[in-house]
Amino acid sequence: MHVLLVEDEKSLHQEVRQFLQQAQYLVDSAHTFSEASEKLYVNSYDFVLLDLGLPDGDGLELLRESRRLEKQEASFIILTARGDLDDRIKGLDLGADDYLPKPFSLLELTSRMQAITRRKFGLKRSEITFGDQFVMDVTARTVRHGGPETPEVPLTKKEFDLLHYLLLHKSRVLTRLQLGEHLWGNVLEDDSDSNYIDVHIKNVRKKLAQFGPADFIETVRGIGYRAV
Amino acid sequence: MRLETKLGLFNGLSKILLVVLGVLLIPPIVQRVAVVHTDQRLREKRREVLSLIARDGLATFLREEHDEAYADYNILKQEYIAITPLGPAESKLEFPAERFFEEPRQVDKAVEDFRILSYVAPLRTTKGEATPRRYRLEIGSSLGTVELLTNTLRALALWVLVAGAVLTVFTDAAFAHYLLRPLRELITRKLRGIRQPGEFSFERLHTDTTDFRRLDDSLSALMRQLQASFEKEREFMSNVSHELLTPTSILQSRFENMLQDPTLPETHAQQIVESQRTLYRLRNTVRTLLLIANIENEQYLRDASVSLTQTVHDVAEELDDRRQQREITRHIDLAPDYVVPRANATLLHTLLRNLLSNALKYNHEGGEVRVLGRPQPGGYVLRVEDDGPGIAPDNLPLLFDRFRRFHATGPKAPEGYGLGLPIAKTIASFHGAVLRAESEVGVGTAFVLEFTA
Repeated sequence: MHVLLVEDEKSLHQEVRQFLQQAQYLVDSAHTFSEASEKLYVNSYDFVLLDLGLPDGDGLELLRESRRLEKQEASFIILTARGDLDDRIKGLDLGADDYLPKPFSLLELTSRMQAITRRKFGLKRSEITFGDQFVMDVTARTVRHGGPETPEVPLTKKEFDLLHYLLLHKSRVLTRLQLGEHLWGNVLEDDSDSNYIDVHIKNVRKKLAQFGPADFIETVRGIGYRAV
Repeated sequence: MRLETKLGLFNGLSKILLVVLGVLLIPPIVQRVAVVHTDQRLREKRREVLSLIARDGLATFLREEHDEAYADYNILKQEYIAITPLGPAESKLEFPAERFFEEPRQVDKAVEDFRILSYVAPLRTTKGEATPRRYRLEIGSSLGTVELLTNTLRALALWVLVAGAVLTVFTDAAFAHYLLRPLRELITRKLRGIRQPGEFSFERLHTDTTDFRRLDDSLSALMRQLQASFEKEREFMSNVSHELLTPTSILQSRFENMLQDPTLPETHAQQIVESQRTLYRLRNTVRTLLLIANIENEQYLRDASVSLTQTVHDVAEELDDRRQQREITRHIDLAPDYVVPRANATLLHTLLRNLLSNALKYNHEGGEVRVLGRPQPGGYVLRVEDDGPGIAPDNLPLLFDRFRRFHATGPKAPEGYGLGLPIAKTIASFHGAVLRAESEVGVGTAFVLEFTA
């Protein structure tokens, strides 16, 4: 996956780049409008991560420009700290695929990128097998133990999302904050150490345990959870 | 009452007053005029008679059989002339030489009221007579005739007055309507039609009335100023959010990257998670303040009609997992539903989410959350009630205080109620609603949202 990262803030640029490279993305960098414009004209990308407030131009203009280029089929994700409400609407109107207000979680960013990829290539039956014979059907949003005829594990929407997120980032420790942000999105939640995540995890484990061993969800003390 | 209506009313009333005044004043005036006019005519007749006597001598008028007196009247008995001889004057003051009065007189068997000019003068019977004798010359004009004239005049005057009044009432109203058109336009098109300064139309008013011109110009100038300061504030907020959120973003990303390192010792990892949590709090504070500032700065549109029932159910659905985790029952009853006109759907959702999530958070396990909506005179009231521990009366006023709250400490401090309430309050007033709290320690708390229709 070829990504163009357009971000003028050097430190942030560095962090995002590092994270994406660790996640096996090929990252190209642009720090200014003109640099980005040039790269968009020459190369084709799978993703463009676009900061709107560039020193020499408006990021939205880049989006508009590259939507006119036929060969540029990149999915655009807008990253902004401007806090301007119109930006989101304008961006999505212009054909951006997603919008993340700063500060965002890098994990959330890569999850959104994965979701866009799935949408784009129309992966029909995306299944994840995990644990001892558990199968998650991402499209139908079901979890079963054993074959397709076995009964569903009765997970609520939030429990399913939580499990899915853990499985997407398998063998990586996810903090409660990262999980919470994914589940509740950008809502201003004022209790950062909410125990809702813990309760959800407990319920997921309990429900899965009725079908098979559920010890693949590990608690990492003081940090969070990990699916192995 | 509208200016035009007031002008119209004043106009109508003043015209009515004028007519009443006319009805009261015109008859005596007309009467007076008629009398003066009659008197003048009588004087002219006297002059004619005297000149006739001077030319032909009195003898031609007098007849023996009438004892040297003379009387004559015209056929319709409207006027008569009588000349009667008088004895020698007893004193000079006996009569004024000329006198006007009204008296009945018998003329040819009929008695009628006359306006009479009585004149005493020395006259010569024949031209050559040496000493003139005293005669009384009486000329009368029938009062019936005078009255007829008076009535006609009076009626005419009244009709002209009424017609004039009615006509001017209409022309005045029409003129006022025409004159006030720019003002009407200013109010309906420029002021009433807009909900925020951004919608103000700067198109100049078509008028040559200086006052309206000035009003329009100063309004436009004020609005320009307002818009400019809104714009400045918007820019400022945009810069502030950029300056505050970018470093936060850098830190958050850095923490995430650090946590990725598989060689990271566990103690360090825990410290990073702690730092992440602190950063999260900072981030939320910044975002709350930005959100409040943006709402107060009118950056959100009120472009939707939002059903409260729908929103409450959406929010309740969203929070259902938390509710079930704590085995709290919910009771939603909005009878009837209320559709908030000119609302912002996202903001209303946030408002109700904050209220409901608080009601869940501060409830005891197994309690109940009630959302009750009822119409009330002049609006609608929505109550979100919980069975929680309640809030001490001292702390109630501090609940919505966005700055004090952040520093409040102590177990019973309202700090626990979180960032949600100042936001809720701001969103409520953005929609012209009032948010207040009622609470009884040990019984529960109710947040009351009052919409005015």
